[in-house]
Amino acid sequence: MAHPPIPESSMIHPFPALKSLPWTSVLLLAALLPLVAHGEDANRLRFDRTHLELYGHDARCQLLLSNGAEQGPQFDLTRSARYECSPPGIVAIDELGLLSPIASGTTTITAFVDGKDPIAVQVQVQLSNVEEPINFPNQIVPIFTKFGCNGGGCHGKIAGQNGFRLSLLGSEAKEDFEHLVRETRGRRLFPANPDSSLLLQKSVGTVPHGGGQRMDIDSHEYRVMRRWIAQAMPYGDENARRVVSIHVTPEARQMVRNSDQQLVVVATYSDGSTEDITRTVQYESNNLDMAEVTAGGLVRVRDYAGEVSIMARYLGQVTVFRASVPLGTLPADALPIARGPIDQAVFAKLAALGIPPSGLCDDATYLRRVTLDIAGRLPTLAEVSELQQSILSATDATPETVQRRRVAIVERLLSSEDYANYFANKWSAILRNNHTSEETKFGAFAFHDWIKQSLFDNKPIDLFVRELLTATGDAESNPAVVWFRQVTNTESRIEDISQLFLGQRLQCARCHHHPYEKWAQQDYYQMAAFFSTVDRREGNLPNEPRFIARIGNASANHPKTGQAIQPAALDAPKSDLANFQDPRGALADWMTAPGNPFFAKSIANRYWKHFLGRGLVEPEDDLRVTNPPSNLELLDALAQDLTQSSFDLKHLIQSICTSTTYQLNAAANELNIRDTNCYSRFYPKRLTAEVLLDAIDDVVGSRSPFDGMPVGTRAVELPDTSFASYFLTVFGRPDSTTACECERSTSSTLAQSLHLLNSKEMQTKLSFDGGRAVQWAKLPNIDAALSPAENIRRSAPQQIQELYLRSLGRSPTDSEQTVALEYLMQRSDRLREAYEDLLWGIVNSKEFLFNH
Amino acid sequence: MLQFLGGSDRLCSGLSRRSFLSIGSLCFGMGGFTLSDLLRAEDAAGKKNSHKGLINIFLGGGAPHQDMWEIKTEAPSEIRGEFSPISTNVPGIQIGEVFQQLAQRMDKSVVIRSVVGCKDRHESSQCMSGWFPDDLRAIGGRPSIGSAVAKLHGPADPSVPPFVGLANKTQHGPWSYSGDPGFLGAAYSAFKPDGPGMENMKLHSIGLDRLRDRRKLLTSLDTMRRDIDTTGIMAGMDAFEQKALDVLTSSKLLDALDLSKEDPKIVERYGDGKPYKYQYDGAPTCNDHLLIARRLIEAGVRVVSLSFGRWDSHGQNFDLVRDHGGKLDQCLSALIDDLAVRGMLDDVTIVVWGEFGRTPKINNNAGRDHWAQVNSAFLAGGGMRTGQAIGATNRLGEYATERPVQMQEIIATLYHNLGINVATTTITDPTGRPQFLVDHEPIKELI
Repeated sequence: MAHPPIPESSMIHPFPALKSLPWTSVLLLAALLPLVAHGEDANRLRFDRTHLELYGHDARCQLLLSNGAEQGPQFDLTRSARYECSPPGIVAIDELGLLSPIASGTTTITAFVDGKDPIAVQVQVQLSNVEEPINFPNQIVPIFTKFGCNGGGCHGKIAGQNGFRLSLLGSEAKEDFEHLVRETRGRRLFPANPDSSLLLQKSVGTVPHGGGQRMDIDSHEYRVMRRWIAQAMPYGDENARRVVSIHVTPEARQMVRNSDQQLVVVATYSDGSTEDITRTVQYESNNLDMAEVTAGGLVRVRDYAGEVSIMARYLGQVTVFRASVPLGTLPADALPIARGPIDQAVFAKLAALGIPPSGLCDDATYLRRVTLDIAGRLPTLAEVSELQQSILSATDATPETVQRRRVAIVERLLSSEDYANYFANKWSAILRNNHTSEETKFGAFAFHDWIKQSLFDNKPIDLFVRELLTATGDAESNPAVVWFRQVTNTESRIEDISQLFLGQRLQCARCHHHPYEKWAQQDYYQMAAFFSTVDRREGNLPNEPRFIARIGNASANHPKTGQAIQPAALDAPKSDLANFQDPRGALADWMTAPGNPFFAKSIANRYWKHFLGRGLVEPEDDLRVTNPPSNLELLDALAQDLTQSSFDLKHLIQSICTSTTYQLNAAANELNIRDTNCYSRFYPKRLTAEVLLDAIDDVVGSRSPFDGMPVGTRAVELPDTSFASYFLTVFGRPDSTTACECERSTSSTLAQSLHLLNSKEMQTKLSFDGGRAVQWAKLPNIDAALSPAENIRRSAPQQIQELYLRSLGRSPTDSEQTVALEYLMQRSDRLREAYEDLLWGIVNSKEFLFNH
Repeated sequence: MLQFLGGSDRLCSGLSRRSFLSIGSLCFGMGGFTLSDLLRAEDAAGKKNSHKGLINIFLGGGAPHQDMWEIKTEAPSEIRGEFSPISTNVPGIQIGEVFQQLAQRMDKSVVIRSVVGCKDRHESSQCMSGWFPDDLRAIGGRPSIGSAVAKLHGPADPSVPPFVGLANKTQHGPWSYSGDPGFLGAAYSAFKPDGPGMENMKLHSIGLDRLRDRRKLLTSLDTMRRDIDTTGIMAGMDAFEQKALDVLTSSKLLDALDLSKEDPKIVERYGDGKPYKYQYDGAPTCNDHLLIARRLIEAGVRVVSLSFGRWDSHGQNFDLVRDHGGKLDQCLSALIDDLAVRGMLDDVTIVVWGEFGRTPKINNNAGRDHWAQVNSAFLAGGGMRTGQAIGATNRLGEYATERPVQMQEIIATLYHNLGINVATTTITDPTGRPQFLVDHEPIKELI
């Protein structure tokens, strides 16, 4: 065993000179570096807007003051400044920098921060003498959302709460108005004396309220609601301005750990006017460990480095602030070779966050990793030996030589049947392939075969999807129709297709406006209409139906209005279809068009997660605006790569697996140990149920039997997930009841430990007569002159070596060799048992159970 | 043929006492629990609080509501039936004469005479989750109360599963249903004492010594750095490996299932429910199960579900109620006493109900047929305001006239008693939607 050593250049010390300093001082210095670097800007301050306007008594406006650096990091100084108004008496400024109007006029606010040049901003306040009428949809509904009144747990649920019902998150202002004003019977709203309205009394807790006190009498919201009631509850002008977009400032910012950042959110209305809605919107952090946000839009990041997003939501619109929190700064040579757009995107992020990556893994690790990931199995003894030979015969160990060797491995694996088997196993489960009886078996087998053959032939994924979703016929003539057999109704079909190939979870919009997306019920039923002409007919085989597309107009009924809805894709114009056209073709056209905003990204993200262990978007099939990718540029690069290769999946895998990023070590350095989504190292993955069972069988020399399948069938080769196996179930094999990859579980449980530790199944595998333990216990070259233990000392090392090569793809270390050998020698009278124990020990080790 | 339970030396679990003893210990359901559950359980174990429990007794087939807790004395004879009402120890509340002993425990119990929201289908999920099987079927269905509690609270004791289903397998599937995990997946299914995981509790061809040898060997070979995995899976495996060894050497769960470890007087007090006069496709009347349920809760189980008898009395309704009802009266009153004596009655809720009620009119076979308009339920313990009869039906027992109680209100009450607020608690389903447990609130009269 003569592996070339891991290149030492991969060991990175980002602050060589500071290595001995305490950790906190390193960080402090790191934080100060950028400021020093931009000295000329250091004295400047900047407001986010040059001019501020407050129209009406209800208007509020958030100040946002930053250091004025043109380049480099910017910091929020809003709360560290002293403000002066000239003339005074026009606006009030609170301690968080929120402006409220006092009197009409124009004033100049000047901000003072020690050591910096003051900066001024002009504020214009315009108050009318007559009271402005309240607009219900624009002013009252957002209050219900902000205080959680119309949440799914309270009045927002379908049945309402204690007789008072609101639409979920205020998606239906008209309905809310009806329920609130028309059904009130007096006590709820009382214009003659607004303060005794139940709505207000309950919200401030002066009468018992199941939801508790939601606001203060002294609050802005209370005053707005009060005025609305006093005005006799107007709905407001139907044609009043509507919010068309909202925008957060800043959009992205680099932040120091344990620091704050004020956000400002501005709404743009249909008439072109704008309004500061910082205090009215709802905020949500996508990672509460990293950052939290107050109701007033003040973001506080904690002690973690990485990226975090804060979503702001208002009247169905969303906007997202991205904070990146660097760990330190990297010296220029800290990053390994970038081999393409993937590495460029990953390393750019690592540089920005100051996270040094781990070094490149060695060849043996790479072979095991990539074989498990592409072919779903351990490398064979022959493959391991071949690799060792090729390393030995290489004339040099330059990075290019190593890379060529690895590219060749990926090419070999991708052309193998094992690749098709493994990925068919993956796709078959999320396409819900299953059989519940002998009669439905044919279809399940045929469907699996179709998936597997498509992968083996490298059918472009756009074509695969088109064939799947436009399938007609029966399982015999066109196995893809089995998907329609398994996914039985229009709703499930459109939901599955959207989740699988667009990364859009439309389920919510079936019954109400999606709370975190722009999709309304209209969007949902427009999509559903594409499947409205699919009909199930009796087929030639019992229980194998035939599916056809009826001739006729495709349409779906809106559940609320009852109106017939024509097919239209997400964010796309209505599809103009003749009634003899199968509408699914139009859906496929839209989905697989190169410019489709969802398709390539969703596939790329799903594959990225398969190999790197963590999706750029998590969960991998939930690509919401409000759930942004951890590395936008990388997702774009992957999607572009996929589109430009004409949706070639093998090419995508090749790009991923030969990237430097994929080849990084799993072992962490002292700085990237807490990284969980920047790919600064390879994140270990527990082997999935089927792969683990096969791997154990390969090492111990057994095979698991499956009912009705030929002897020797591997678990990853099973056509679907309905073959009974306690092992597979307990290790998290999915049931294929949903299109969600999350059904497959890799979490650890007590039942798993008991099964590995003490099951009959495991013991049978270890001890059966044709197995490895029996074979190895018959030592070769026994010398009768020597003691049994000495014979073991002579012969067993060869078998220990084989054991390590088969299971871990590497030779044992000296200490491992010693431990194993001593264990065997101490049990020379029961060598077979000792080998069983040794095999057991290896397959229970984390190095075996994980791909790393 | 009534062979599936075997001979008379068998317990209701289908295992002989002897085989129980030889097994060593029992294992968990399909998935068991995750590391966070384990840590939570250990945390809870340190506090030594008595945990809240639920014993859900399903009367498969649908018990005749008018022959149980509300006798319709005013109804004409073709409806009235053979039973008279008897007074209870709560003035003003009368129940059917079959339940002599329960009548003396009415102060600790509640009868609901106006349960609505049933369907004329032999299902049991509405008594386990509050939902019918069609609901959310596309993503696996709704989780039963046991699975939801397993998910929300984890195990109370790390070596004891939080949710156990005792029902014997019956030919009609829903009557031996323990409650599904639904969209939560197999990891939260009920542990069944006859299920596949149990075998793993038995040390097979290798003894404990060899297992310890193996473990020592593993420790010296398994040297990979654990901190490279930040998902917690690796750490979880280590923790569970240790726990698995503990389980193999301790037998808390097994002991709970082994009635030979119980005081014979108490075993006798519950009765054995024999002879089993059940019909071919239903559950037997295993009085033992109620005792085992009590022992399981004591050992740390949170939810036990079981199926008692076959109440689908299309013929000979009154004989069946005399047989099943008498046996139920014995074991249920024993269970109430037993829990009270042990100071557990305020923490443990008992609910006894079936899928629907039965027709007012007695048919030609002296039977009663399916009647989904109204149903009844019996509850006890759980810290509820007991000693109440809630709701009423009309003179003929056809429909609820007072205080109709939705089945989900009962489920919501059970959640409440288990310390789960149904108004605020959600579980995220596989599509990412937060799902509430039920749509109704707990019964105000009881909490």
